[in-house]
Amino acid sequence: MKKHAITLTVNGEERDLVVPSNRTLLDALREDLGYTDTKYGCGTGECGACTVLVDGTTSINGCLTLAATMDGASITTAAGLAQDGNLHPVQQAFIDNDAIQCGYCTPGMVLKVVSLLDENPTPTENEIRSGLEGSICRCTGYTKIVEAVQDASNRMAGVGE
Amino acid sequence: MTELKVVGKRVERVDVRAKVTGGALYAADVQLAGMLYGKIVRCYDYAHARVTSLDLSEAAKCKGVIKVLGPKDVTQKEYNASVLDMMVSADMRGVLGDIDDQSIFTDHVKHYGDAIAAVIAISEEAAERAAEKIKVTYEELPVYMTAEAAKQADALQFRPEKPGNLAFQLPEMAFPDNAYAWGEVDKSFDEADIIVEDTFYVPKQKQCQMEPGSYIALYDDQERLNCWTSTQMPKLVQKKLANLFELPMTRVRINATVIGGGFGARLGMVLEPETCALAMAVPGRPVKVLSTREEDWVTSPSRHPGKYWMKMGFKKDGTPVACDAKFENYKGAYYVDASGTAFTTGAWLGGMYKFDSLRYRGESYYTNQSICGAFRGYGNPQTNFVMEQMIDRGCAELGVDPIEWRKKWHKGVGDDGWCIGVPYNSCALDECLDRAAEAANWTEKREKYKNQTGTKRRGIGVAVMNHTSGAMPMLLEHTVCDALLHQDATVTLNLACSDMGQGSHTTLRQVAAETLDFAYEDIHIATGNTDAAGFDIGAHASRTLYVGGGAVKQACEDVRRQLFERAALELEEDVDNLYMEDKIIHVKGSSNKSISVQTIADQGVNNFMNPETGELIGQPGQIQGYASFFPPHNAPPFGTTIAEVEVDMETGEVKVLELVNAHDVGRAIHPGVVEGQLDGGAQQGLGMALTEETYYDDKGICQNNSFTDYKMFGPSDMPKMTNILVENPDPTGPFGAKGVGEAGLVPPVGATANAIFNAIGIQILEAPITPEKILKALEDAND
Repeated sequence: MKKHAITLTVNGEERDLVVPSNRTLLDALREDLGYTDTKYGCGTGECGACTVLVDGTTSINGCLTLAATMDGASITTAAGLAQDGNLHPVQQAFIDNDAIQCGYCTPGMVLKVVSLLDENPTPTENEIRSGLEGSICRCTGYTKIVEAVQDASNRMAGVGE
Repeated sequence: MTELKVVGKRVERVDVRAKVTGGALYAADVQLAGMLYGKIVRCYDYAHARVTSLDLSEAAKCKGVIKVLGPKDVTQKEYNASVLDMMVSADMRGVLGDIDDQSIFTDHVKHYGDAIAAVIAISEEAAERAAEKIKVTYEELPVYMTAEAAKQADALQFRPEKPGNLAFQLPEMAFPDNAYAWGEVDKSFDEADIIVEDTFYVPKQKQCQMEPGSYIALYDDQERLNCWTSTQMPKLVQKKLANLFELPMTRVRINATVIGGGFGARLGMVLEPETCALAMAVPGRPVKVLSTREEDWVTSPSRHPGKYWMKMGFKKDGTPVACDAKFENYKGAYYVDASGTAFTTGAWLGGMYKFDSLRYRGESYYTNQSICGAFRGYGNPQTNFVMEQMIDRGCAELGVDPIEWRKKWHKGVGDDGWCIGVPYNSCALDECLDRAAEAANWTEKREKYKNQTGTKRRGIGVAVMNHTSGAMPMLLEHTVCDALLHQDATVTLNLACSDMGQGSHTTLRQVAAETLDFAYEDIHIATGNTDAAGFDIGAHASRTLYVGGGAVKQACEDVRRQLFERAALELEEDVDNLYMEDKIIHVKGSSNKSISVQTIADQGVNNFMNPETGELIGQPGQIQGYASFFPPHNAPPFGTTIAEVEVDMETGEVKVLELVNAHDVGRAIHPGVVEGQLDGGAQQGLGMALTEETYYDDKGICQNNSFTDYKMFGPSDMPKMTNILVENPDPTGPFGAKGVGEAGLVPPVGATANAIFNAIGIQILEAPITPEKILKALEDAND
């Protein structure tokens, strides 16, 4: 199979790698580069566990994206969200609202929410719920995740500060 | 009780920082030097077939392949993947008979996805490519998907020692007439004024934990078998693997990784035997086996589906006189825990209402479905779907309010619990019902929803449940914990209880801090390595906080006792005359006589002799608390759900508008953790009631083992949730706590069904209650 030399900037660090045409971004991140915070949940784009951000704001499914098509892209995984040791407001909101149980969906879910709030900084409850579709959580029933998104939205808007 | 400092507080969970930054290591994330990859070859063409030829030669020649293994290349020992045999007495094991009916690889395929061979290669891709080169031919066998089919006289026998394909029925020895029973049921029905009876179907629901099964095994240079797995039961899996591979327990180590959800799917062994068998074939090299989602679906156990018949009799005044029931479950290809759910399904029924007489029969039949086993609730959701609809039908015929009837006739303190002979010792179900009814505007809405005529009709329904905290007395309950006091006066707890995300390590740490009167931050829980931790059952039966918490409390009390004894010697005072405040032990009534915990802990470790006097400075010896804890009871949690739904009479669609859950949790050690259990349980309970079922075609080929085709409640489907925590401390629970891990799933099942009954006046007898079934029922009613 044809191999491609590509460069990915992951969490601010530039990485060169060679991937065959069929290598998914998920496998490239996990297996080739060691970013195991990006999770495999279904491999078919149904669960969102492999969500990563492109250019800091656009969420994509790593399992549906071929790594070779991402040459030159800037990727953010959950491990890259915290800045200078401080958690991203979305991460902190997930902790403070008990929105994390088994944690397997959490990295992808948090990144999805970062993207959602970038697009719509003050979403309604219904907008949050429809925005989360495609990211499956089997532990929380979504209640506390919705609360965490509302909380994160307030924090990022500076409400209460 | 003195004011609680840590218990009851919403402390930050111990595991969330690692999870939110992606640092938490699940089994698939572990990477070892020299790692090889295993791919298990499965039969996806047939659900029942004999392998007539297996040619591994082409696969063995593929690039990157290290070894190819067929049935004869691995241990020939049969095993049972469940841990049931580890939790019952020797007598009961005798009654169950031979229940070891699984092989690592088989030449008799009994379900879609059964394992027949495996490839070990240098990469996952190389293993997958080689697996495609394995040539297998099959002889197709008749397929039995239901108990009715499997018990036909001419059906092929799965196991000669289990005639009639009856894997299990309640044994005569413990259950005369093969029934869990009291009173004289047949006679009691003669006294009944109203009798309701029907046959229901409960579905094969899947846990759908987000982390698919992932395993690593290594047979190392010290001839020790190491297995990295996110099992719910590290210590029992250690013993199971030791038995299977005939090794002493000292040569088997489980490295328990972070668990990406369990819900019963990781109770006992799943692919640990296969992975370890691969590792044994390549000593010195770690082998990683990663299940795809589709594979995990059909290789890890599901909820037990089956036919559930029930009959109830009532007197005109509402008195429940008789209940008769039979659950025939479609066990699947292997025995696993066939006796477990077949019994408990009836136990939850028997534990709920004060029937004068009751008889329940539970039977498990071998079928060509993928295996069934534990799933959160363990028979209780099935019973809830059936029992609670029957109660509401009875209430409708009696003309009584379903909440009023339940308040009058549910079992409570002093009544026999789910295990006859072990009475309930606490119950706050009345308060749960009152507070839920008020929060849901029950009375007003029941009145309002009478005589609706529109296309969209609303309904409100209730269900109640009883459950358990641990499986005592039917199964072994035991947890060992030691608590090591370090020289800086912090404590490491060493115990094998796993946290599958429910928050148990957080609540156990709270129990420890409260018991010791130390800060939450002073405690660490070391888990994950079976070399060091003592015995524990694992996470099942809502036991971790109740039994594990009991062990933690006892071990910490032991530390505290030793601290006070040493303080008494140092201060030359009676132990009873001492008290502790801010980790300093004082003498009552004396302002200047005190010694700090820090000093005692430090002197215990860094102990020196005074060179002038020749005496030791302080008391020598590092303090360690220890508990080998057997709980005295099973602290029953009770709960209720009131569900409100809207049914579209034209499309059959059901929208769940609101759930009000009120649960008797004993004490909420961490309210956020408890709410999380109720929220998450409800998502799964609603799924079972309305959308979730793994289904097969008539050849036994699974049709929906993926998130695309299996419908779970998503973020927009979830209703408004109200959780009411009723805290009525249990006399035996740590700080009064009861188990809450399973309870939240159970009553949403019956409440949703009853809300639909309230909306449309018809009961749907098969779960999940899909739009098709509602439309058919409405059509049938019009005919």
